[in-house]
Amino acid sequence: MTSAPYAWIAAIVAALALLPLGTSSNTVLNFLSFAMIVTVAAQGWNILGGYGGQFSFGHAVFFGTGAYVMALAQVRFGLNPWLALPLAMAMGAAVGYAIGFLSFRARLRGSYFALVTLAFAEVFRISANAWGFTGGAAGVLVPLKLDAAQMQFADKRLFYWLALAFVAAALVLTAWIARSRFGAQLVAVRENEEAARALGVDALAIKLRAITLSGAVTAAAGCLYTQKFLYLDANLAYGPWISVEALLAPIIGGLGTVFGPLVGAVVLLGLGEVTKTVFANLMGGSVPGVDLVVFGALLIACVAYAPRGVLGLLQGWLASARKARA
Amino acid sequence: MTTLNRRTILQGAAATGALIAAPSLVRAQAPAIKVGILQPVTGALAQDGEYGRLGAEIALNEINAAGGIKSMGGARLQMVFGDARSNPEGGTAEVERMQAEGVAAIVGGFASPIVLAASQAASRYDIPYICDVGVSDQIVGRGLKNTFRFGPGFGNVTSTALENLVKLNDAAGKPAKTVVIVHEDGLFGSGMAKLLQTQLPPRGFEILETIAHPTPSRDMSNVALRIRALNPDLVIPSSYYAEFVLLARTMQQQRIRPKGVYAILNGAASNFRFVKEFSDAANLVMDCNHWADPRKPKTAQVKALAEQGGRFWLYNTPLNYSCVRLLADALEKAGSADRAKLTEAITNSTFADHIMPYGPTKFVNGQNQGAAPVNTQVQNGDIKVIFPTEFADAKAVFPAV
Repeated sequence: MTSAPYAWIAAIVAALALLPLGTSSNTVLNFLSFAMIVTVAAQGWNILGGYGGQFSFGHAVFFGTGAYVMALAQVRFGLNPWLALPLAMAMGAAVGYAIGFLSFRARLRGSYFALVTLAFAEVFRISANAWGFTGGAAGVLVPLKLDAAQMQFADKRLFYWLALAFVAAALVLTAWIARSRFGAQLVAVRENEEAARALGVDALAIKLRAITLSGAVTAAAGCLYTQKFLYLDANLAYGPWISVEALLAPIIGGLGTVFGPLVGAVVLLGLGEVTKTVFANLMGGSVPGVDLVVFGALLIACVAYAPRGVLGLLQGWLASARKARA
Repeated sequence: MTTLNRRTILQGAAATGALIAAPSLVRAQAPAIKVGILQPVTGALAQDGEYGRLGAEIALNEINAAGGIKSMGGARLQMVFGDARSNPEGGTAEVERMQAEGVAAIVGGFASPIVLAASQAASRYDIPYICDVGVSDQIVGRGLKNTFRFGPGFGNVTSTALENLVKLNDAAGKPAKTVVIVHEDGLFGSGMAKLLQTQLPPRGFEILETIAHPTPSRDMSNVALRIRALNPDLVIPSSYYAEFVLLARTMQQQRIRPKGVYAILNGAASNFRFVKEFSDAANLVMDCNHWADPRKPKTAQVKALAEQGGRFWLYNTPLNYSCVRLLADALEKAGSADRAKLTEAITNSTFADHIMPYGPTKFVNGQNQGAAPVNTQVQNGDIKVIFPTEFADAKAVFPAV
C-alpha cells in the first residue's frame, strides 16, 4: 500500500461510488451517507490522534462548530450553504488552533490533553445550549429546500456522493500527510517528543498545524451533518456521541493509517445495522437495543484481540499467509 | 345406476376447484395498510417510548378486531415499528426504513427534537405524520403540510397552567407569593423557565431563583438545599422523570415542604409509577399536562388494557391510542391509503371518538385547535383532575402545609 496509496484511494472511492447504483433502498443510502459523515469526522481525528498521537476526547467541539456555523450562516444571515461550508471549515480550523495554542503551549499531553479537549467540548455544548443566538436548547432548524443550490438533494444518492467526495478529499489529504515531511515530523513527535525536538523539530508548530487541519476536516463532517438532518441542538452538535464515534472508528479500523477511519466507521456502523436486521428476522420483530449490545461486545473483542485495528489484523493475516507459502 | 361420464367428472372437478379456491377468495381481502409507529424505546427516553408504543398497539388491535378499515374492504392495519433511539438521527433513519416498507402514515416521535427531524424527513415523501407528544411550537410552525399535532403545544399548555395557577392561588386567599423554578437545561425545561420568568411577575409572583440542572442528573441534594435556603412558597419544576423523582424524594428526606409543588409538563408528576413507588414524596404534587378524559367510558377500557402485566398509566398511552384512532378515522374517510388523500382527510378531520378531553379534531396549520392540557394533583395514591372544573374529580388541596 505504501507504493501507490493514491491508486488505492481512487480504487476504493470508485468502488464506494458505485454502491448506490446497486440499490435504490433509501435505508441503505441513509446508512451509507451517515457512515461517510462519521468517516470524515474520524479522519479529522486520525490526523491529530493517529499520526500526531494527541488523543482528543472532545472532537465534538470541531464537529459542532462546523455544524452550527453551517446552520446559523444559513438561518441567521441567509448565506448560501456552498459559501457557508468553507466558512464553517475555517471556523473549525480557528477553534482547533485556539484550543491547540492554549493546551499545547501549556505542554498538556496524554490524558491531560484528552481531558482538556473533553472539557472544551462541554463548555461549547453548555454555551450553545444557553445562548440565544444558537437557538439555545431549542436548537436550529434549517428550512427544507430541496435544491442542489441549497445543498439539499431530492435524490439521496447525490448527497451520498457529496459526502463521499469529502471522504476522498480527506483520504488524499491523509495520504499526502503520511508521505510528507510534515507527516514524518508529526510521527516523530508522536513517538518521542523530546527526541524529535532534539533533532530540531518544532513540536509546538507541528502539533498546532495538525490540530488546525484536524479541526477543519472534522468541521466539514459537521457541515454535512447539518445538511443531512437539517436540525441541530447542543447535544447533537457538541454532545459526546460524536467525540466517541470519531475516536472509535480509527481505533477499530487502524490508528494512524490512511484507510483506518473509513474501515472502522463502516465496520462499526455496518455491524449495528446488520445485527439489528438479523435479530429482527430471527425473533420475528425488532429487538430494541440488540444492535448496541452486539456492538459493545464486538468492540471489547476488537480492542482485546486486534489492538492495531481491523487493518492491522488483515495485514497480520496476509503476512502469516505469505510466510506459510514461503 | 349413474355412470361416471364426462359431464359428472367436469362438474365434480369444478366443484372441487371452487371449494379449494374459496378460502383464498376469503383471504383475498384488501391488503393490509402499513402504519409507521415511531417511538424511542432505547436510550434516555425508553420508558416514554414503551408507553407510547403500548397505546398505539391497543388502538391497532381494537381497530383490527372491529373489522379493519371498512371503506377499504375491511383492510387490516399492520404496525411497522421504528425505534427512534432517543435521538433525531435514529428517528430519521427509521422514517427512511418506513418509507421503504411503504407505510401510509407515521404516528409518534415523543420528544420534540425527534418529531422535528422525523416529520421533516417524512415530508420529503409526503408521508402524513401525526405527532403524539412533542410540544415545541416549531413542530407545526414550519409550514410542513404533512405534519399534524393532535395534542396541545407549549404555548397553549403554559398559558393554561399559569391561568389555573392564578385561579388556584386566588381561591386559597393568595398564600403563594414567592417561587423557585427548577428546570432541566434542554429544549423543554429552558424554554419553560424563560417563559415563566416573563409571565410570573406580572401575575404577582416573585421569582426568588431559577435553578437549571442537566439531564441526566444523579444527585439533586444541592438543588434541594438551595430550595431550603430560599424557602419559597411554590416550587415549579420542569424536568424529566428521573430527575423530578429524585428532587421530590430529596425534598421529602430533607423535610422541605413548600406550600405547593406546581409542575408544568413534568415527566413524573402525573405518572402512576412515581405515585405508586414513592407515594409520600408524590403526595399533593400538582401538574399541568396531557391527561386522558376520565368522563369517557373508553378511557377506563384503554386504561385497564394498558395496566395489564403490571404496567402503569402514563399520558403517552392515551395520546398514542387517540392518534392511531384519528389516523384510522382518516383512512376510513379517505377510503384509500394514498398519502395525498390521507393528508387531506386528516386536514379536514372532525374525529371525536378519542379519549383526550379535546372535542372533535380541527386542524389549522397542522395544530389541533381543541387540544388542551389538564391540571392534576396526586391525592392519597391517586391522580385526580383538579382543572378544568367541568370534569374535575377532586378539589385542589392548596396550600399543602
